[in-house]
Amino acid sequence: MSIQDNMWKYLFKIIFLGIMDALSIWSAVILYNDSAYLLLIGLIIVVGAINIVYLIDKAYPMRYILPGTIFMVIFVVYPIFYTVYISFTNYGTGHVLDKQQVVNQLENRYFNPKDAEEFTFDTFKLEDKNEFILLFENEEGKRFIGYNNKLTPFENFDKKIIDSDNDGQIDQIAGYKRLPQMQLFQHLSSLQDLEYQLNDRILRMKNTEYFSSYIRQYKYDAEKDQLNSLRTDRVYKPSENGYFESKDGERLTPGFRTHIGWENYKKLLTDDRIFNPFLRVFIWTFEWAILSVFLTFSLGLFMAILLNDKNLRFRKIYRVILILPYAIPGFISVLVWRGLFNAEVGAVNNLLQFLSIGGIQWMQDPVWAKVALLIVNLWMGFPYMMLIALGSLQSISNNLYEAAAIDGASVWQKFRHITLPLLLVSLGPLLISSFAFNFNNFNVIYLFNEGGPAIPGAQTPAGATDILISYTYRLSFATGRGSDFGLASTVALFIFMITATITWFNFKYTGALEDVKENE
Amino acid sequence: MKKILVLSLAFVMLLGLTSFASASESGKLLIWADENRLEVVTELAEEFEDDYGVPVEVQEKAFGDIRDSMRVEAPSGEGPDIIVGAHDWLGELVTNGLISPIDLSGIEDEFIDVSLEAFTWGEDTYAVPYAIESVGLIYNKDLVPNPPETFEEFREVVKENTNKEEEKYGFVMPQPDPFHTYPFMSAMGGYVFGMENGVYNPKDIGLNNEGAVKGLEKLNSLYAEEYVPYLDYQTMASLFKSGDAAMMLTGPWEFGNLEEAGINYGFAQLPTMEGQAPKPFSSVHGFMMSEFSENKMLAQAFIRNFIAREDTMIELYEKGGRPPVYKPAIEVAKEDPQTAGVLESARESMPMPSIPEMNAVWAAWEDALEVVLNQKQDVKPALDNAVEQIEDSLEQSSE
Repeated sequence: MSIQDNMWKYLFKIIFLGIMDALSIWSAVILYNDSAYLLLIGLIIVVGAINIVYLIDKAYPMRYILPGTIFMVIFVVYPIFYTVYISFTNYGTGHVLDKQQVVNQLENRYFNPKDAEEFTFDTFKLEDKNEFILLFENEEGKRFIGYNNKLTPFENFDKKIIDSDNDGQIDQIAGYKRLPQMQLFQHLSSLQDLEYQLNDRILRMKNTEYFSSYIRQYKYDAEKDQLNSLRTDRVYKPSENGYFESKDGERLTPGFRTHIGWENYKKLLTDDRIFNPFLRVFIWTFEWAILSVFLTFSLGLFMAILLNDKNLRFRKIYRVILILPYAIPGFISVLVWRGLFNAEVGAVNNLLQFLSIGGIQWMQDPVWAKVALLIVNLWMGFPYMMLIALGSLQSISNNLYEAAAIDGASVWQKFRHITLPLLLVSLGPLLISSFAFNFNNFNVIYLFNEGGPAIPGAQTPAGATDILISYTYRLSFATGRGSDFGLASTVALFIFMITATITWFNFKYTGALEDVKENE
Repeated sequence: MKKILVLSLAFVMLLGLTSFASASESGKLLIWADENRLEVVTELAEEFEDDYGVPVEVQEKAFGDIRDSMRVEAPSGEGPDIIVGAHDWLGELVTNGLISPIDLSGIEDEFIDVSLEAFTWGEDTYAVPYAIESVGLIYNKDLVPNPPETFEEFREVVKENTNKEEEKYGFVMPQPDPFHTYPFMSAMGGYVFGMENGVYNPKDIGLNNEGAVKGLEKLNSLYAEEYVPYLDYQTMASLFKSGDAAMMLTGPWEFGNLEEAGINYGFAQLPTMEGQAPKPFSSVHGFMMSEFSENKMLAQAFIRNFIAREDTMIELYEKGGRPPVYKPAIEVAKEDPQTAGVLESARESMPMPSIPEMNAVWAAWEDALEVVLNQKQDVKPALDNAVEQIEDSLEQSSE
């Protein structure tokens, strides 16, 4: 029975691997044709690894970590490397295309001079084939035939021209039949590529009624790596910052994406306009993260201890009510709070008015905006802390409290010397990860007040409640010319280093890494 | 065993996603439109298909995503042939080399000037416009029977209708919001960028000139005397909808909501300041063509021969409700007094500048409005500072 079982297993394995490999080969061909080589290499590595792990018995243990590893590479390692790569480029508005694409685009630019001749045209098509003959007529009534990329005066054309019903309209040229006007649109995508030499100009399609003479604007010289203008004698060379530029500084748009070395890093560290607000934002980021964790944990723990009291009635109902803020999507609750804190018509100020406290400018005053943000984050965050604290409280042995009671400890002493230390052991790592989370808590900051209020006289737009990540966002999308992904990636890497350091401490603190070592 | 199954399935799905996504194909048109335009564009596409035998596919994309997706998908050949969007995308799309000029020779006269201006970059026009929107004074006819015509009258009406205790306001507008505040600053001569040979000149910033300062000072006096509350857009709209605000400053996109709320509203021109009419920003919508389309001529034919046509333009107006810019369609739209009002305001308007430099402008300008209208800084120094910031960040990014 077990042999048969194994055979089935083996058969299944082979069949599924076979299907997967077949699909992979199919998609590899597609990727190759699209010249997506990086993806192709990735696919080969992944599929190869899966095959090896499932076919070679020695690699058997690997199959437990393989899926995780693949996903980690795709979703964690690859984005990090890509960010590093982008931070060394000028990728951003004006520099989206690569150089080859820009060259292609500029080479395909045509100039339609004011004195251009316009030709009406009739289309003749070979049946079952996408081949065309065009009959042109210029403004003076002179006719030409466009055939085989050549333009011939009508009189000199030596192939057979048929007007079968003798109505003066030609029906066939050299076996090509007249295309009814209604079918013209179906063939526009072929007709648009037809070009005929006309003296020193090029005759090409202008719209559905006319062909017109054009002048080609640029020609790329691959050997000298430069674009020559065909209308003037200017020469455009690729510049370091990603433009084709003439000697007197004329730039052709679009620019292209290129490597600019440490330029972004230099800008971030040496440009006062960027670096000065950095320090202020940096400090508030830490204040924000630390206070958020401290407040949510304190309130969460307090609630947990209350709920943990077996003498409390309706515990389940309270628990449900207290967990509610956690169940509401943050996007919604932040926007609701934003309305509540409105200085003019918000509920918070209306309530405060009853206490004769009037007109706190929650959104416009830097200090109050920070307070409001902390309140919002407290409301959103404490249920999580309460939940994890509730769990940990259950695990503290009752014996300890009984022993303490016998020794005559007060409630505070029990909390201080038994509950808190034991909780911190198990909750410490969670607090640190909560710190890292709030450190990058873009949603709350941005949705609540977009990092505002603004600071009068500031040099760079950075609001009073901006944290590092929202400052990055402003820097990369709200300054200068459009978006600057290169600079944004650079700042993101700095933030990554900070959070990586925190995480490292987290591991060190919990000894997670040592555990792994011991097991090895 | 299960794992292999799951993995293969995941693979099949991934492959499916990559290989079945639509992309520009020769002889077939792909259009990206947002959810509000989807229905009417789909109907037009079907008509075109019936008339000319060319398959057209319309794909829904969120409005803002259309522009962002163009950046990623167009160069890789995954993009559409045609996008339906707003003129303020033009700067980014053109400087990134993502859209292609459209030949409008011979039909330019059929559009109102400001709409073509909006879609012109250098020597070329990049879209066929079909609608224009600009802001004006929306007033509650039950509270304000006759809309004020001068700023002085306006101030009186605001004062009369404001009662803070009862949370009644004479006038509300969103803040900090340069788009909505611009008309007050432009009335007496403020502007964003000066024009030079049909191209905006980012070195000539007119946000802190005398007219701009004077205009904002006038508006700010209403805030300083606490007749006008400092509100965001949502709060403004809900105050007006509940009848607690007599007038608000915004555009025709709110009409539908107001009708739903049963408010008896009218649309009037903004009050003149020292005899000069405010020039609001306008936003123009149109059909643009991808640079990476394999069907440029076909896309252009669709836009030029089929969209720029009286019956299509009227259909676009009747189904979309946005004021048209095509002259024959305007004749039809004028019958609606509200639309006629918006068109009048749009004629005087100035297309919102679309150069990528606007990013820096919006941010700094917004901050200036915030500090001024909350009475933390005077108008002149705040605007000076904003202009300095703009110049700074333009300089920094051009290095």
